[in-house]
Order: sequence, then structure tokens, then C-alpha cells
Amino acid sequence: MTRRGLLKKLSAGAALLGIAALPFGFARLLAPAGDRPIPRRIDIANKIKARRNYLRPPGALKSEAAFTAACIGCGLCGEVCPPRCIKFHKSGGGTQINTPYIDASEKGCILCNKCMNVCPTEALTVVKRTEINMGVARIDRAACYPWVDKGICGACVSICPQGKSAIAYKHWNQYRPIVKDGCVGCGLCVEVCPHPSQPIWIVARPEKSKIQQGA
Amino acid sequence: MHPSKPFFLWRHLNKLRWASLIVVALMLILIPFLHLYQTYNAAHAYDLLAPSEKRIFDVMEFLTDPFTSDPAEDLDALKGTTWSGTFWGLRLSDPLAPLAQMAASLSVYWPFALTALIPIVLTAIFGRFFCGWICPANLIYELNGNLAAWLRWAGFRTGDYQFDKRIKYGVLALGLVLSAATGSVIIAAIYPPAIVGREAYFGIAVGGFGAGMVFFLGTLLFDLLVSRRGFCRYLCPGGALYSLLGRYRALRIQRIVESCNDCAKCNVVCEFGLDPLRDGFGQECTNCAACIAVCPTDALTFTVGFRDHPAQGPGHLGRQYKRESGADFEEAAE
Repeated sequence: MTRRGLLKKLSAGAALLGIAALPFGFARLLAPAGDRPIPRRIDIANKIKARRNYLRPPGALKSEAAFTAACIGCGLCGEVCPPRCIKFHKSGGGTQINTPYIDASEKGCILCNKCMNVCPTEALTVVKRTEINMGVARIDRAACYPWVDKGICGACVSICPQGKSAIAYKHWNQYRPIVKDGCVGCGLCVEVCPHPSQPIWIVARPEKSKIQQGA
Repeated sequence: MHPSKPFFLWRHLNKLRWASLIVVALMLILIPFLHLYQTYNAAHAYDLLAPSEKRIFDVMEFLTDPFTSDPAEDLDALKGTTWSGTFWGLRLSDPLAPLAQMAASLSVYWPFALTALIPIVLTAIFGRFFCGWICPANLIYELNGNLAAWLRWAGFRTGDYQFDKRIKYGVLALGLVLSAATGSVIIAAIYPPAIVGREAYFGIAVGGFGAGMVFFLGTLLFDLLVSRRGFCRYLCPGGALYSLLGRYRALRIQRIVESCNDCAKCNVVCEFGLDPLRDGFGQECTNCAACIAVCPTDALTFTVGFRDHPAQGPGHLGRQYKRESGADFEEAAE
């Protein structure tokens, strides 16, 4: 092989590799900031970012990477969802394109378990209703109306599908809600909260807290 | 000598194929509307619906009322797209879906892989029939091809570049490699049938189309301006997979050389750029039967066999064959 021929082949190969790497690079660039690991320190900006985190449907694989790899983006979970809370990364989302999410501030999950039953892959696995782990609710006691003595509310406590095991009043005659271990993070409380600044939201469940599901 | 005639219904199969394509496309539109109807039904709040939603409710109620007693639950029987779906408990997936998922997760989830078993067996028997008979994108691409023909008739220039058909196998390999590299089933974002099914659902029930629609419109323009049926012929990763699976298909189309007059209409109608005129079907034939339907002398038929018939030379009713064998005939006459 001549030197010219070899150079041609090598440059063509390099160009091919470069072009092949483009979508991967784009996917990395386009990935939303919220999905990169958030450093563990108290930081208002990160707290706001964490609040905006979308939830995965119930029964989702715990590791985000495993979920993205398992989900084929068929949309079946959304097609069976009675409250239509499951939405999809339709255009953004980088490698998460076409994967489902739930924006609890818009519409919470009613824990009907239809999505995990219809999912053809292991992305959503069938788990018991009490073992669902979409996250856990957090309450901002500096904003919640009863906590700052701005009246009575109890919307979150009334709507909770898990009942007293998940969220309850701190004292029977005060409407100040506290989150309990039974919370599965469905986000219905977020949906119904009347406060404009959303003092209740769902965060990822800490590693060693009660509900632990496989994978 | 009487050459064998093809079974008379086979030249009408192309109509059945169009019917099948249209039924699939209509189902992809109907299922999201049924889903909306289910959610309205589950909410028990007809009076709160917007007028447009009430119209959807009424139409869907009219369509499904004879078949269901509890629409919110019963209509779950029919869900999904050609990418992956469930039909009264039977789960079916495009073979590319488990393959891409295996690549992305680097592991095999058998319950999902088995949903592609029936399509794989059918492809092994009938070849790349999905592309010609079911693929919802194929319907749009074929209509797009007809539009291109109209445009040509009206004097516009449409693209007719030909590329190497093997490019799509490279696209399949590259897509799987990228799926593995990104850890995401990214090949689904460039696979038209998956896009069409998904975008129909997004457009109807999730409040608007996504990025896939842009890609799909791009492929339509590519077909129109650059290369006739270019995406399916040269680029589609799923088509590549189906071609490989259907390479040794049992049912295939064969030319009857005694009845062929070399008119080449089959080559013109072939959506996948094959060469029926010279017995060149190969693994990329979709058994769509368009060539059988167009053949004026009934010289194409279905046959059972694991390989194509070797090239049979010019058709016996054609001019070339007559020229070559005519000398003998004239000598005999003298």
C-alpha cells in the first residue's frame, strides 16, 4: 500500500469515527443539568434544582442509568395512565429521550400500578404499592400555611393515597403536616398544595431510609 | 408448452397490503384517542370536559360502546405501537427493540426478548414482510413516493441518487454501538416505525409532537429530494435487521421466465430498488407483491424455497430472447 493510500484510509477512518461520535457528544451536551449528580452540600441553588427534579413512574429501576438503558421508549406506560401524569422527554433530555417522567407539580401519580404491569421491559417492575419508591416528600416549614400559622389547610394529608402511614398532622388539632416513613413519593400532595411557592415537593429517597427495592 | 400460471389471487395481494398498512396506521391514531376516552371515563367528569374533549368522548363512546362494559379497564387490552404493544395480553415487540435494549443495558431481559419471538419467526418464514405490510412509516413513505411521481410529472426534479444498499447494515451496527456507548436505546430515535407510532401518540395525547417528528420529516425530504425511498433502502436500521432475519425466508417471489416479456415494470414499481427482471430479489425483498400486481404477463409468482432462483436470462416473450433464439426458428422455417 502506498503512503498516500494509507494516509487516505487513516484520515477516512478518523473522519468516520468523528462522525460516529457526534450523536454521543450531542446527547451528552443536551442532557439536562438536573440529571448530573448534585454535590452533597447545603446549597439553595441545588435545593431548587432538586425540587424541579422529575419523578420516574412507580416501579422504576432505582438507578437512573439502568432505567435509561432498559426503557425502549414505547410509551405504553403513558398510554395506560388514567390521570395522564406520565409525560415523556419528547425533544430534550439527551440520552433520556423518549423516556417517561412525572412532573408532580403538574399531575401526581395515583399509584394505580397500571404502568408497571404494562411495561414490556424491566424498566418498570411490578412492586407492591407500599414498596414503590419514587422519592419522598419534603415540607418547607417556613412556607407551609399551617406551619407559619397562616390558617388551616390539610390538602396534602387528605389527598395522600397511602394515608396516615405517609403523611399526618403533627398534632391532632393543628393542621401542620409531617412526612412519615410510608411515603412513596407519588406527588399527589405536590399537585394539590395550594401554596404558590410549592412548600411540599418530592426528593430522591436517601440511601438508608426505609423503603428499599431491588436493582 | 404452457408455463405455470400464478394463483389468480396473488395479483390482488397488493390491495390487501394497502388495506393492512391503512389499518395499522388507523390503529395508531385510534389507540391514543381511546386512551383519552379512557382517562375521561375514569375521571367520571363528562360535564367538566372542554367541547373538543366532549367530541372525542362521544365519538369514542360510539365506537367502543358495543364492545365494552367498563371502558376505563376493558380498553387496556389494546395498547401500544408497532415498536412494542399488547394485544389482549399478547405482547409483541419489534425485534430491534430487544436487540437495542440488550446493547444499551449489556444484559438480556428474557421476558422482553421473548416478545419479539413471534415477529422473528414470521420474518424467518415471510422475510422482510414487516416493511411492506405493517410498517406505518412505509405507508407514508409510499405516499411520499407517489407525491414525488406527481411532482416529476408536473416538471419538478426529484432526487434519484442510488447508494449502496449495504449502508443500512452499517447504520444498524453503528446504532447498536452508540446504544451501548450512551447506555440508552438511542436507535429508537432514528427508526421511523417507532417514531411514527410514538409521535402519533405524543401528538394526540401528550400535547404535541417531539423531536422524532423533525427527524421523520427530514427523512421524507431525503426521499423526495435526494433518493427515491432512500431511507428504507439505504439507511433504515430496522430494515437491515429484518433483511438479515429474512435472508433464508421460506416464501419468496420468483420470475417465470417463460411468461416474461422483459417490460421491466416490476423494476419500476419495486419500492426497495430490487431487480425482479433479472431474478435479483435477495434478502431485501419485502414480499410486498407490488411487482406481481403490475406484471402484465403474469410472470411473477410466489414460491417456497430458501434461495432465489438463479438468473434465468431474458424472458421468453421478450425481444432479446426472440433475437437470440430467432435464428434457429427462421432456419427451421426455411
